[in-house]
Amino acid sequence: MNDDYLWDKSGEPDPEVQRLEQLLGTLRYQEKPLELPEQITPSRSTNHVFLLAIAATILMALVAAGLWLKARHNQVPQDQLAIAPSSPSTPEPQKDAASPDKQKVVNPPTTNSGETERKPHVARAKLPTKPALSPKEQDEALAAKQQLMLALRLASEKLNEVQRRAVGPTTPIKNQHKVG
Amino acid sequence: MYELEATADIFVMSTQAKAVERSTTDEPIEVRLVRKALEGDRDGFGQLYSLYGPLIHGILLARVPRSEVDDLVQDIFLHAFKKLNTLRDWAAFGPWIAMIARNRATDFHRRSRDTVEVTDDIRGTDESTSRATEILEIVKALPDTYRETLILRLVEGMTGPEIAIRTGLTPASVRVNLHRGMKLLKEKLSLREGL
Repeated sequence: MNDDYLWDKSGEPDPEVQRLEQLLGTLRYQEKPLELPEQITPSRSTNHVFLLAIAATILMALVAAGLWLKARHNQVPQDQLAIAPSSPSTPEPQKDAASPDKQKVVNPPTTNSGETERKPHVARAKLPTKPALSPKEQDEALAAKQQLMLALRLASEKLNEVQRRAVGPTTPIKNQHKVG
Repeated sequence: MYELEATADIFVMSTQAKAVERSTTDEPIEVRLVRKALEGDRDGFGQLYSLYGPLIHGILLARVPRSEVDDLVQDIFLHAFKKLNTLRDWAAFGPWIAMIARNRATDFHRRSRDTVEVTDDIRGTDESTSRATEILEIVKALPDTYRETLILRLVEGMTGPEIAIRTGLTPASVRVNLHRGMKLLKEKLSLREGL
């Protein structure tokens, strides 16, 4: 069998292939005008909806984060107030001298002598004390948390909806790139 | 006959235009045409229809009764036009629409079950068409992988490299399918003529 002719019609023609070409060629495609209804257009609306939904989700997340940060910001001064009475007017070097054990715990041992004079980290000093929130602040914090959770839930719902719309209802086209 | 020649001319011109386009802009013609169609240019989609009509016709001819093929070709292109915005890789328009056609053919059989009268196909207008339809039925009895490639080659007159480009198959696969399919077809035809 002349494989080249069958492959790309080059080389010596294979008589049997030619005979089949002639016979089956009578069934060849005959183009008819394509009737595309005027009202149908390949819209790109899905992409716009998708982008809009992403933008809305990001905006909501930012608002929620802002609310959460605000609630947290209100909480921080209360923490500092809670710590302040323990050493209200003592200068820092004296504080270090007054509590050498605490400094040892706070600052890791180091070979550099200069670092040992560093101030103790304020955050470490705060750790043992639990911030005392007033009932009003607790309510605010709880409300902020609930708002954040609600925003996240809404964002999740919106993303799911967008995904459903983008994918479409049971599309018959699967693995468009997996051919052969 | 005139229509046949015209179709062949369009096909040849399209492939030549394709080569020119690729050499000048280095962008596949499918990408340009899909972009045009998405921008609302219906002629762009019309060119895709002319370019890929034979492929879809061949794919359907390998799977559904001949009397149904023309309507299905139109349906498939209409569906593709509606869903064109879902095509991510514009250069893969061929494999994408080929997959739509294969799925539509499967769907056709699922819906029609046994109600399709295959005998409609065998009734030809003249002897050569009747003989062609008989041979087509033999080709359609071959395994899936061979019949589609053989029909694209023998009925639609596409070459192996063209089939590979349009369907997204590798040239090696197409060549093997053509060779083995033709061998099987010749065996079946000789058996039939021997009876």
